[in-house]
Amino acid sequence: MNRFVILLLTAVAALLVAMLPILLGPYYIRVLQTFFFFAGLGVAWNILGGYAGYWSFGHTVSIGIGAFTAAWLGLIFGAGSGPWSMILPVIAGALLSGLFALVIAYPLLRLRGTYFAIAMLGVSQVVAELVNNVSIFQGGIGVFLPSPVPSGMPVERFYYYIFAVVLSLLLLISWWVKRSRFGYALLAIREDEDTAMMLGVPTERYKMAAFVLSAVMVGLLGAIYGYSLGYFTTYSVFRLDWSLNMIVFCLIGGIGTLMGPVIGAALILFLTQVLLGGFLDLHLMITGALVVAVILVMPGGILRTRWRLPGRMPAREGAE
Amino acid sequence: MSDILLSGRGVTKKFRGLTAIDDVSFDIPHGAIYGLIGPNGAGKSTLFNLITGYHPLTSGSITFRGKVLGNMPIYRRNQLGLARAFQIAKPFPALTLAQNVRVGAMFGRPGDKNVERTTQEALDVTGIAHLAQRRAGELTVGDLRKLEIARAVATRPVLLLADEPCAGLNPTETEEMVRCLRAVRDAGTTVWLVEHDMKAVTNICDRIIVIDAGKKLAEGTPHEVVNNKEVIAAYLGTPVDDLPAHTP
Repeated sequence: MNRFVILLLTAVAALLVAMLPILLGPYYIRVLQTFFFFAGLGVAWNILGGYAGYWSFGHTVSIGIGAFTAAWLGLIFGAGSGPWSMILPVIAGALLSGLFALVIAYPLLRLRGTYFAIAMLGVSQVVAELVNNVSIFQGGIGVFLPSPVPSGMPVERFYYYIFAVVLSLLLLISWWVKRSRFGYALLAIREDEDTAMMLGVPTERYKMAAFVLSAVMVGLLGAIYGYSLGYFTTYSVFRLDWSLNMIVFCLIGGIGTLMGPVIGAALILFLTQVLLGGFLDLHLMITGALVVAVILVMPGGILRTRWRLPGRMPAREGAE
Repeated sequence: MSDILLSGRGVTKKFRGLTAIDDVSFDIPHGAIYGLIGPNGAGKSTLFNLITGYHPLTSGSITFRGKVLGNMPIYRRNQLGLARAFQIAKPFPALTLAQNVRVGAMFGRPGDKNVERTTQEALDVTGIAHLAQRRAGELTVGDLRKLEIARAVATRPVLLLADEPCAGLNPTETEEMVRCLRAVRDAGTTVWLVEHDMKAVTNICDRIIVIDAGKKLAEGTPHEVVNNKEVIAAYLGTPVDDLPAHTP
């Protein structure tokens, strides 16, 4: 029965997502497109940070690598236009980002806790500076990507649908990871890595797999984001604040849960883009205060908080 | 195939200048409950850390089921049938007991299809099946110790190293733990345990190895060991009468 409810909800949500662009104006379609993108980033970060407990403070490095790889491929092969021209550069962006993660995984994943977080921050800064200052990478002057939007289709609608499909794909992967053997290994690593080893979990291998998978997901989003920009320089894609956003979405929604990052991203974006859109000078301050408040009141995030209706006794804790 | 499950030859561990384990040799046969005792700081936990692979040996060798362990990674040792319950229980606090135990069942013997059955059996043999859906973070010390054993047992070990399974337990809980370890042995797992509680040790162990200051002091049946002069001296100090006379 529970399964049926979930299936029904998914179907309703899918229908809603498909229909919304017809009802909404371009601004709100763009807000939703950004929401899908950010939620996707949160879902990807959550695989490594939420499931395996390895908090990365530099995950935007994968957005940058994904976006620039797509653009370089376009420059070299003179990729044409039309939606199908995106496929190869986008896949290449995702894969190169995964390959980069594989290379840095060996030294970095020996670090734990804060050390890993800071090391990732360092990696993202170093890569950003390289892309910006080494002239063949063209990060300083910027790169162009041809528009893949089919003629006659509004741009915001095109990317709305693409990001919606990609977010669904990432959620599906995350769901599969969470309920698989792989997911169990990551949970054990998060809870206590030494004990996990003693219970037969090949921790090194699983950590690396989570790191690479997470990077591929972010790289995929980054490459598509690059297309949606059309023209971008280093700092449009290597954005430090986004590294933090991914973490905040997960913290607010419920770290290590499947839907937590999506809920967190929805809440933050609704606040910053819709409610506070008119108070641009204040919105960062209010957002910051809200993040602090949520973490103080609900340390496990929205999904991990035991909600109870007012006026009723807590269900299980009873016996007092 | 020989009857010896685990053997150490000249096992030595030096931490910088300090020799924590000094030329210790041992043979643990199949099917027994062995004890490892010694005063605080004697090196009991260090010896277990060497066997399970948390520290590399300085010299000597350890053989398990006919394989020299050498630099074998910790998880491989477990998959070979070597499990360990830690002295300070290390549960996965956010997971339920069933999930805790399932990790052992899933990864201890890769390829096994009966994960659920193994999990249930491990919960049953340690007597914590009724707590299966509780989170490990909510448990009492006694139940945590049982969980520690259950998780190790779920990996279907041939040899279980239990580091002070009775530490901090009250007499009733200690008795339950002793019963639980016997059940584990009866199910075919050899047990080697570190223990301070002499009553528990002499009660449960077939043979005991005594170490002091990193060196092996004695080995024998509980009766032999508790009557061994050197062992008594290591635990209680040398009687005044036996000291050399003071010459003015």
